[in-house]
Amino acid sequence: MTRQLTDRPPAVAEAGPALRRRARWSGRTRRDFFVFLALALPNLVLIGVFTYLPLLNNVYYSTLDWTLGSASATVVGLDNYVTFFTSADAAKVLGTTAVFTLVTVGGSMVLGLLIALALNSKVRGTTFARSAVFAPYVLSGVGVGLVWLFIFDPGYGVLAWVLRGLGQQSPQWINDPQLSLVMVIIVYVWKNLGYCAVVYLAGLQSLPQDVMEAASLDGANGFRRFLSMSVPLLSPTTFFLLITTMLSSLQAFDLIRIMTPLGNGTSTLIYEAYLQAFGAYNRAGYSAAISVVLFAILLIITVLQLRFVERKVHYS
Amino acid sequence: MVMNLDRRHFLGLAGAGAGAAALAACGGPSTGGTTPASEAAEIDFSGVKPAASIDFWTNHPGKSQDVEKSIIAKFHAKFPDIKVNLVTAGANYEEIAQKFQTSQAAKEALPGVVVLSDVWWFRYFSNGNIIPLDGLVKQLDIKVDDFQKSLVADYQYDDKQWALPYGRSTPLFYYNKDHFKAAGLPDRAPKTWQEFAEWAPKLKASSGAQYAYIYPALAGYAGWTLQNNLWGWGGSWSNEWTINCDSAESVEALQWAQDSIYKDGWAGVSSKEAADDFAAGITSSTISSTGSLLGVLKSAKFNVGVGFLPGGPKVESGVCPTGGAGLGIPSGVSKEVQLAAGTFLKFMTEPENTAEFSAATGYMPTRTSADMTSVLAKTPQIKTAMDQLAATRVQDNARVFLPGADQEMAKAAAKILTQQGDVKATMTALKSTLEGIYTKDVKPKLKS
Repeated sequence: MTRQLTDRPPAVAEAGPALRRRARWSGRTRRDFFVFLALALPNLVLIGVFTYLPLLNNVYYSTLDWTLGSASATVVGLDNYVTFFTSADAAKVLGTTAVFTLVTVGGSMVLGLLIALALNSKVRGTTFARSAVFAPYVLSGVGVGLVWLFIFDPGYGVLAWVLRGLGQQSPQWINDPQLSLVMVIIVYVWKNLGYCAVVYLAGLQSLPQDVMEAASLDGANGFRRFLSMSVPLLSPTTFFLLITTMLSSLQAFDLIRIMTPLGNGTSTLIYEAYLQAFGAYNRAGYSAAISVVLFAILLIITVLQLRFVERKVHYS
Repeated sequence: MVMNLDRRHFLGLAGAGAGAAALAACGGPSTGGTTPASEAAEIDFSGVKPAASIDFWTNHPGKSQDVEKSIIAKFHAKFPDIKVNLVTAGANYEEIAQKFQTSQAAKEALPGVVVLSDVWWFRYFSNGNIIPLDGLVKQLDIKVDDFQKSLVADYQYDDKQWALPYGRSTPLFYYNKDHFKAAGLPDRAPKTWQEFAEWAPKLKASSGAQYAYIYPALAGYAGWTLQNNLWGWGGSWSNEWTINCDSAESVEALQWAQDSIYKDGWAGVSSKEAADDFAAGITSSTISSTGSLLGVLKSAKFNVGVGFLPGGPKVESGVCPTGGAGLGIPSGVSKEVQLAAGTFLKFMTEPENTAEFSAATGYMPTRTSADMTSVLAKTPQIKTAMDQLAATRVQDNARVFLPGADQEMAKAAAKILTQQGDVKATMTALKSTLEGIYTKDVKPKLKS
């Protein structure tokens, strides 16, 4: 701030606000702005057309009583929202969404951190282990879902075979709604913890070693160093992961679609929106309203995280 | 004015964009008037020249891709001016419906001919998505009278024919002959479920299989196969448009099914595909579509027996629903495409082609004049499906005409059969849900 004032020509510093604005638009700044426009505008147009225009369209559709496939619809205002929030399904869907998101985000981050700690040690085979841990993240969700369905199949799945060997019957992972949710959560965490592990690993490797060594010399043991030094210093990484994994969990679709097509017990907000429009019910307007609710929740969570959680983050 | 796109802004935009990405971006409807059902007026095709190329959207019911290709090759030989593109439009009836309805919303890329299942054609009709075939029947001299009466009647409404039967099926009772023999049971399907309940403990004890009987996967078509149990006990999903799935008879039927799993312990519930479980030897018997017959015969390493569906304590016969798919023609394509599609539809359902399709899949021949001699010599089990056709019953309105009803029925069945939920309470809740769907989504579109 001081540098700006001292660099500014005296005439400008003494002039009125209008002159100062004009001065800010002159010269290099103006050139920078046009370069920015030239580079960013095509992307902004694409994002506008393919992301924000559909978003606005969707808000409009949410005010219609529209059967998918029908050429006409009736404007019903906020009826779709009222129907959703007054239905028994709302509590069930929101509850499922909350459980799925909290457990998958928490599970991925905690397990990811533990794996990152293990991978951060200087032992043989860590390169292979890193690749192995990260590989599921880049695999197709459809393929992963199909393979895990075979593992969980209570009739001839691998897990059932193991349990039978132990004299136990396999639980009804696929038909029982509660177990279906557990099954999908397990697979989702397995698929995504590699992402958290790699990001945490990068964070661990960028921790200032001198500070850690000083703590060590002061007599702090490994657990104390982790709790009092590593965890606070990793807070930017944790914050980043918290936002990105939460956004991705709230939008999880492929695994749910493949493993539990009926959505019985696994119908999160995004899957309920899909089922209502495309699954069987063909209620396009109602589905759009659920999508808007999801959008609002995503927006609120992101804003809250940025406003309140970020205050606890240590950036240096 | 210069935007400082820092991390905070980036994450904020990511949040907004993420929500937006989840939303559909298809073409919208007009809000000028009420939703019209398909126009019932006969379409005049005189003077129309068939289009040079049409798409045929199918999910290849009964793993029929090869036989569909074969019939299309014969069509090309007979009608070289019309090219039919075989399009895999989904893995099942629901996926193909999803694609078809999305294309309706986008108002583009519609096929000439589409496979439509028993639960979907009426929705296409009520949304104005398909044309009545009567004009094409007249123009192309399609022999509607030669189709199996009960099958062709399934697609009649408002005195018009909206589709023609294609991959039509009924459920069949499949049993492992070797298991039945080892248990000292007769080589036939049980006449009633009560008779099977007497057989089941012997079967389970001697076969080594996990179950004596496995209920079909609930995520599939539970509403279809459980019709058999409901009807056998004198119950139903609905009577015309009155939902009565919570009647004492229906509750008793599903209580019996629940007891067979939890109390008696001889039955289970398939997780994915009962026919596959049966062919893998996990169960001694099951109910599955006739469309699974050829697949089961091919993969099972034991002698497979098939029979009519068992009756119940109140009704012993005539407790088998029809099902499967027909072929329809969209309203949103040109007359030229519709005429070419009609020509292809007629060819696909010719007696010799329905026989070929039946031989390859196990689905029933849809034409009475189809010569099935060689087919039955090779696969005599298909005869059981054909004979059972005389003992079939039209499905309850609630299952085939209410959007999403099949899913709701499957959820209720899951609660009863896999969570040991209270049957009466579950069926009462289902009744309320189905009535809500009827009142909101169907009743306004029905002709008074």
